[in-house]
Amino acid sequence: MLTLALRSIRFRTSAFVASFIGMFLGTVIIMSFASLLDTRTGTGISAKDKDTLQIMASVVGGYGLVIVAFAIASTLTLTVRQRSAEIALLKSVGATPPQITRMIVGESMILAVVAAILACPVAILTGWALVRLLGSSGTINDDIGFRFGPYAIAVGFGVTLIAGTVAAGLTARRTVHMRVVESVRAAAIETPRMSRRRVVAGWLFIAIGLNCALMTATVFNGQSISTTQAVGAEACIMSAIGLALLAPALIRAVTTALAGMLERLGATGHLTVVNVRQRTAQMSGALIPMILVTSISTGTLYMESIENSTGIKMSSDDKGLATLNYVVVGMICVFAAIMMVNSLIAATIYRRREFGQQRLVGSTPPQVLGMVSIEDALLLVTGLIFGTVSGLLTVVPYSIARTHSVVPNSSIGIYLGIAGTVVVLTLAAGIGAARRAIRTPAVEAVTA
Amino acid sequence: MTTGGTANEPALRLVGVRKRYGIDSNSVTALDGVTLALPPATFTAVMGPSGSGKSTFLHCAAGLDQPTEGQVFIDGEQLTHSSETVVTKFRRQRIGFVFQQFNLMPALTVLQNVMLPLRLAGRRADRQRCVAILQRVGLADRLDHRPAELSGGQQQRVAIARALATEPAVIFADEPTGALDSASARDVLALLQEAVRGFGRTVVMVTHDPIAASYADSVLFLADGQIVGQLAQPTAEAVAARMTRLSERPNRIAAGE
Repeated sequence: MLTLALRSIRFRTSAFVASFIGMFLGTVIIMSFASLLDTRTGTGISAKDKDTLQIMASVVGGYGLVIVAFAIASTLTLTVRQRSAEIALLKSVGATPPQITRMIVGESMILAVVAAILACPVAILTGWALVRLLGSSGTINDDIGFRFGPYAIAVGFGVTLIAGTVAAGLTARRTVHMRVVESVRAAAIETPRMSRRRVVAGWLFIAIGLNCALMTATVFNGQSISTTQAVGAEACIMSAIGLALLAPALIRAVTTALAGMLERLGATGHLTVVNVRQRTAQMSGALIPMILVTSISTGTLYMESIENSTGIKMSSDDKGLATLNYVVVGMICVFAAIMMVNSLIAATIYRRREFGQQRLVGSTPPQVLGMVSIEDALLLVTGLIFGTVSGLLTVVPYSIARTHSVVPNSSIGIYLGIAGTVVVLTLAAGIGAARRAIRTPAVEAVTA
Repeated sequence: MTTGGTANEPALRLVGVRKRYGIDSNSVTALDGVTLALPPATFTAVMGPSGSGKSTFLHCAAGLDQPTEGQVFIDGEQLTHSSETVVTKFRRQRIGFVFQQFNLMPALTVLQNVMLPLRLAGRRADRQRCVAILQRVGLADRLDHRPAELSGGQQQRVAIARALATEPAVIFADEPTGALDSASARDVLALLQEAVRGFGRTVVMVTHDPIAASYADSVLFLADGQIVGQLAQPTAEAVAARMTRLSERPNRIAAGE
C-alpha cells in the first residue's frame, strides 16, 4: 500500500499541492517558535528571559498546532473526497478498508516528512528573525544568540506528522466504511452531514469564547494590560474555532436565507443555490480560514488600537507583548489567508469537468464565471458575517474593560482593510481558477 | 446526398469542411473536405472505422470545434466562431446533445437537468412541457431523483429529454449507446427515432455499432476524413458488411462508392 501511496502522489501531484502547502507553512511556523526552546538552552541567559522564551514557545506553538491541524485536515478532506471514485474503484478490485486507510495515511505521512524537511531551512531564517525581533522590542535581552536544534526539529516533525496522520486517519475512516456502491454514488452526490461530535465541539468552543468575552468585560475590567489582552484574545480565537467547526452548517444557513434573492438572478443564481447546498463540505475548506483570519485579525488589531487610544503609556513589558501579538497574529493570518486561497483554487480547478458539462448544455463563459462569482460572494458573506461577530467578541468586551465604552474609539479603517483583503483574495483566487478551468474546450474537459 | 434536396432549408449543411491538427509540416488532416446536406426530420447515422474522423466530424458540425476550412450551416444559419460566448448562444438555440457519458449535472434533479438549458438561455422554462417530455421518455416517476440514483439507460433518457426540451434544429448523439447494455440501448435508439418521427427533430448519430446504425433512416460512411458512401434504409447486416470492407481497405481509395 505504501508503494501505491507513493505512486498516487506522483501521479496526482496537483491534488496534493494544497495539503502540502498547508503542511509546509504550518511546519515553518511551529518550528520557528519551537526553536525558541533551543535558543533558551544557550549560555548566559537570565532566568526571566528563559521563562519568557518558554511561555512564548508553548502558548504560540499551542495555537499554531490547532490551526495547522485544522488546515491540514481540511485540505486532506478535500483531496480524499475528490478521489472518492478512485477509492471506490480500489474497493471494487478488492482493497480492504484497512488497506485503503493505510494508503491514505501513508500518502499523508510522506507529504508531512517532505514538507517538514523542506521547512527546516526556512524555519531557521524565520526563527532567527523572531529572536532578533523579540530582542529589539525589549521582550528579551537583545544579545541572546539564536539556536536551532533538537527541540525545533522534534516539535516541527512531530506536530506535522501527528497532525497529518490523525487528519488523514479521520478522513479515511469516513470514506472507507461506506459500501462500494454507496461510495460510487457518494462520488456524485455529496452527503453534507456533520457528525454529532463535531457539532458538540463547535458549540463548546463558542461557549468558551463567549465566557472569555464575558470575563474580559467584567472580571478583568481594570486589570493589567497583559492579562486582559490574553483573556480578551481567547474570546475571538475560541469562538472562531467553534464557528469553523460548524462551517458547513453556516454556509447552508446563509444560502437558505438568501435563496429567494438568488433564484431571482435567473439560471446562474439557481445553479448557485443547488451547487452550494451540495458542496457545503468543499466550500468549508475556504470558509474555515476565512472565518479565522477575519476574526483573529479584527480582534487583535483592535485590541492594540484601543490600547493606543487610551493614551496610557505602555511599560516595556507591554510593548514587548504588543510586538509579540503582531508577530503571532501576522503569522497566523498570513497562514490562514494562504490556506484560504489554496483551498479555493483546489476546489475550483477540480470542477473543470462540471464546468465543461455546463458549457455543453449552453452556459456561456460569462455565465460560468457569473455562477462562480455568486458562489464566492456567498462564501464571503458567510465568512465575513461570522468572522466579524467572532472578532467583536474580543473588541467589544476589551473596549468596555479599557475605555468603559461599548464602541471602541478606533478607526473603522482597520476593519475595512481586513475585509477588503479577504474579498480581494477570495474573488481573485476563485474567479482566476475558474477562468483557468474553462480554458480547455468543453468537450475535452468532460472526457478528461 | 447532394446539396439542397428539398424545398426546405436543410437542417444541417456542411460545405467543404476541413480540419487539420498540428502545424504545417507534421499536421494531420482529420476531416478532408466534407460536404453534405441533411433535410429536416431525418435520422442519420455516421459510421467509420476508428480514426476515420467521426468525432472530429461531430465536433465541427456541432460547433464544439472550429473547422480549419469550410462552412457549417444549421437551419440555414452559418455557424461562426468569433467567441465562445457567441458559439454557445448559437448552440443552445439550435443544437441539442446526447453524449456517451450522459453529462448530466450531478447536483441537479432529473427535472432540473431537463429545464437547465432553457433557463440558461433565459427562455421561459415551461415546467409542464418538460414534465410531459419526461413522461414521453418514460421517467414521469423519477422527476426528483438525481442522476446518480438512476441506471445508465435512464440517465441517457434524461439526456434525450434535455435535448428535446429546447426544440433544437439538430440533435447530435455521440455514441449514445456506447455505455449501455443492449436492452437499454434499444430503448434509447427507439427514443431517438421517436425524436424524429414524433417530435420532428433532426438527429445525427455517430456510432460504431451496426445495430445502432440500423435504427437510422440512412447511414453515412466516413474513412480518412472523407465521406465514402451512403446507405439508405440500412439493415444491421448491410451496415456490418460495408464496415468490414471499409476496415479492410488499403490505405486510401478514391472516395464515392
